[in-house]
Amino acid sequence: MTHFSRRQILTGAAAAASSFALPHLASAQSAAGRVVVIGGGFGGATAARYIRLFSPNTEVTLIERDPSYITCPFSNYVLGGFRQLEDITHRRDPLQQRYGVKILRGEASAVDTTAKRVRLKNGTQVNYDRLVVAPGIELNYAGVPGWSEQAANTVMPHAWKAGPQTLLLRKQLEAMTDGGTVIVAPPANPFRCPPGPYERVSMIAWYLKNKKPKSKILVLDAKDAFSKQGLFMAGWESQYPGMITWIAGKDGGKVESVDPKGMTITGGFGKEKGAVINVIPPQTAGRIAIDAGLAEANGWCAIDPASFASRKARDVYVLGDASIAGAMPKSGTAANSQAKVVAANVVSSLRGAAAPATVFHNTCYSLVTPDYGISVTGTYRPGPQGVAEVPNSGGVSPAQANAAQRKSEAEHTEGWYAGIIADTFG
Amino acid sequence: MRIRFYALAATCLLAAGPVSAQQRIAVLDDTALAAQTCNVCHGSGSYISPTMPPIHGADANAIYGALIDFKTDKRPYTIMGRIARGYSDAQLKALADYLSKN
Repeated sequence: MTHFSRRQILTGAAAAASSFALPHLASAQSAAGRVVVIGGGFGGATAARYIRLFSPNTEVTLIERDPSYITCPFSNYVLGGFRQLEDITHRRDPLQQRYGVKILRGEASAVDTTAKRVRLKNGTQVNYDRLVVAPGIELNYAGVPGWSEQAANTVMPHAWKAGPQTLLLRKQLEAMTDGGTVIVAPPANPFRCPPGPYERVSMIAWYLKNKKPKSKILVLDAKDAFSKQGLFMAGWESQYPGMITWIAGKDGGKVESVDPKGMTITGGFGKEKGAVINVIPPQTAGRIAIDAGLAEANGWCAIDPASFASRKARDVYVLGDASIAGAMPKSGTAANSQAKVVAANVVSSLRGAAAPATVFHNTCYSLVTPDYGISVTGTYRPGPQGVAEVPNSGGVSPAQANAAQRKSEAEHTEGWYAGIIADTFG
Repeated sequence: MRIRFYALAATCLLAAGPVSAQQRIAVLDDTALAAQTCNVCHGSGSYISPTMPPIHGADANAIYGALIDFKTDKRPYTIMGRIARGYSDAQLKALADYLSKN
């Protein structure tokens, strides 16, 4: 007993602490341990914060590449012209200052799930007792023939990660002449933010209606159906009559290739020229999840639906867009909800206690105009086939609603955004 | 062994610093975890939503009554009916009690 690893010391001390404490305090006091979180978005930041709220003795290190967080939610309103990028840019400082999360700026480049260690690009190594992986998505530039990262950064932006890409797409909308065609090409399922492309179409339409009303929008979709389809299409019909054409995959909407030089896009529909072309490519789990061996052949990470523990590695949890979450969409609210379940499971496992029952929530609000909101919401529990929606609950806004009701949902869209920012970053 | 134990205790105290007793979620059971899902819109602690009512510390009967009204579409249209239908009446009662006290 002369040489102790840090892990052995931790285990020993935890056992010692619980044997001296009163029984009902023991579980609250003995959950120490080191947790590393990769990724400080809605999923990772919420997990870091709630682990500290559930167990202030647990050391939490959040590894994050970017200095601040620019949200994908509300980035469509930058395109619509009624939000600025600054409005959707958030600092993570409260996590450190108010909740004691250690923030390590850098990019996680490798995970050794046997030695339980994360390596950063700059060479720093961090050991963990439990690892939470929340890397979001990786865009598959090769998934659209003719397209490339270089094309995305110059003429055919994706704007599916908010920031410079959002501004590039906005600039192109501002530069186009009235009467041009904007082409939006959403991918097949699964992808980040299922209603996102259609809210984007709505927000581009809002801008065009006010500034360039002779222009058109063509949606070339890989899918035959999409999130909140009935509500979106009714909204387009009433708010932007004649402006938007949506072509389903089965009707030739699936894109086969693009030509960034000629600004054309080709598929079953033929060849179309766009004044602006927004390619939303196929996606996978963030690169680090794949490099760490956590992903399946399809590029997404299989998890236990009750805990979001990885199916591939012990003491590792994968949540948010990167995970295969069954009936739950890849959304910020879903990631925030999964993060609380992961935090509870991480803390319970460090305590050697059973985890509480799992329940998840999701809400996705979308705007058709700044005063016309629609929503989809769901409650989910783990089931034999993965995460499943609770029967006879959830669903979308009513098809029939008056202007005041649509406006009320637009106001709650704002309320939701303020809430999730506060609940994620503190 | 003794020296190492004290060194570890000091580390824990440092890590424990910023989370106040008030912020801390001390009991982690089924209802406590389910109740955290509400925070994404309604917030917790000193946060006040611009559009949604605060629920932590509100009257338990008022919360439960509202949830049942939402569930049965007596208060229609907002997303709360769709959410409340994801829970049994007993679960809603437990959530209302928890939120009123936390």
